[in-house]
Amino acid sequence: MPDLVVCVKQTVDVYQLKPHPETLAPQLAQAQFKNSDFDLNALEEAIRIKEKHGGRVVLVTAGHDVKTLLVRECLAMGADEAYVFSDPAMSKADGHVTAFVLSKIIEKKVGKWDLILCGEASLDENAYQTGPRLAEIFNIPHVSYVSKLEWLGGSVKAWKSVEEGVKVVSCKTPAVVTVGLEINTPRLPSLLMIRAAQKKPVNDVKREELGLREEDLKPMADVLEVKALKTERRRQVFEGKPEELAEKLAETILAHGGKR
Amino acid sequence: MKVVVSAEKPELAAGIAAFVRKNFNEATVSAAFFKEPSAYEAEALGKAGVGKIWLLPQALWDGGEPAAAAALAELVQKTGADLLVLWASKTANEIGARAAQRLQASYASECISLEKTDRGVVAKRLVLGGGYISTLLLKQTPAVVTLKNTAELGEVVEKKPLAEKFDVSVSAPAVEFLEFIKPETAHVELEKADFIVAVGRGFKKKEDLAMAEELARLIGAEVGCSRPISGDLRWLSEDRHIGLSGKRVRPKLYVALGISGQVQHLVGMRDSRTVVAVNIDPNAPMAAESDYFFVADIYKILPLTIQLLKEKMGS
Repeated sequence: MPDLVVCVKQTVDVYQLKPHPETLAPQLAQAQFKNSDFDLNALEEAIRIKEKHGGRVVLVTAGHDVKTLLVRECLAMGADEAYVFSDPAMSKADGHVTAFVLSKIIEKKVGKWDLILCGEASLDENAYQTGPRLAEIFNIPHVSYVSKLEWLGGSVKAWKSVEEGVKVVSCKTPAVVTVGLEINTPRLPSLLMIRAAQKKPVNDVKREELGLREEDLKPMADVLEVKALKTERRRQVFEGKPEELAEKLAETILAHGGKR
Repeated sequence: MKVVVSAEKPELAAGIAAFVRKNFNEATVSAAFFKEPSAYEAEALGKAGVGKIWLLPQALWDGGEPAAAAALAELVQKTGADLLVLWASKTANEIGARAAQRLQASYASECISLEKTDRGVVAKRLVLGGGYISTLLLKQTPAVVTLKNTAELGEVVEKKPLAEKFDVSVSAPAVEFLEFIKPETAHVELEKADFIVAVGRGFKKKEDLAMAEELARLIGAEVGCSRPISGDLRWLSEDRHIGLSGKRVRPKLYVALGISGQVQHLVGMRDSRTVVAVNIDPNAPMAAESDYFFVADIYKILPLTIQLLKEKMGS
């Protein structure tokens, strides 16, 4: 029965984020937070493995202001317990710091595990690095961009989506697997599951328990500036009867060279 | 400054080498490969200003990404390189991450630009769904980046790059390759298309994409899509996916049908010259990203438009 660890990042909801009209900086203060999309795919996959093969699913999250409500959402989906590292220093964390902190939580708190699952990238940073970095720290194999996964007891078989097609690979466990959107559709927890999740343990983890020093939380890359991309478009809007719009659309397409 | 570049395809390695030479003054650039480049490829590398080619054991590439990352990290360390630049393929992004971890290096993936400053390498990359550019200072040396940008090669070979074997014995966890599944449909190169008709969740069934396909045929366009269509729905193959984790296209005309315009999609089509969109929702984010935005039901307007185009084009 596999022991599964899932790393979930809480990020700003980029779908709702608006830039400041003048400075073009993202207005993070008003932003809502959510569980990063692909991480929920990772969690869903872990739960499916557990449903088929038994075992347990442990959730690990680290951030500068971890919201318990969002952790509960993951528990309601089917994770058994959660370890939460919420520390203001994480607001400047880069991939190096994040992977190091996650590795410490997994090593010191989770103890025994067979497989770590992560989203292939986070919704906010889109860096594709946490999973491979974690694997390097533990000196274990990893497979990224997984669109189908089989637990074979002591090893995994993974279908990895790359630009040219799908690579089927296998590796021994312990291992790290990062997944994309294609692998599954994360379940929406029922009211009953949400209630049941209230009793599941959410363990707060402190810096000292992990033996983290100040310098362990210092990033190797500093963000100097974040600015919205601006596109200049004509933004002409057409409304009306389908017949008129179709005429206008056909004209517009032809006017812009859309013909053989 | 010593820079090592690498890419699976030597022509891409030449492109990123040329970029480094153009943007970094007095950089010494070498290129690393797991398979020996052809004479023609070596010439391209020479034109990009690559002074040396390192040949790493192919067995380490075949051993999976952890081994390839270990080999590149070893090369960076032994040659005292300041910067490792990989062409930003999906595989390179993970290799870069592992190599950076091994080297305790700063890392930035999928950079769109790089420059050298007194404080270190400054990289720009897209974040927050692709709608924002983040400027990052990589403080640590060495640094690792994957780059999605190239520059033109020079006209002449400055100096023919010498190839040298770099014998390296690294131990890394194995990932065994079993088989490769090619996409069923012929490979499309959306990046090179002048006209693109892109489809999104506004289409209710796979069969309905026939409307978009017919429109595309009529106007000589390729069909692309937003991530849900190739991803969870699998109505189209992954090579038609336009967006942050798919293709970045720059056609003369981009026709977006039933695409709401999530940031992740916009990043893939933003460089289009003219954008025409049809969406039933006047408040869809695509409206602000379009030159001509038609508030309409694709199911009503497309059949009519196709008919009209046929008449107007006389076929």
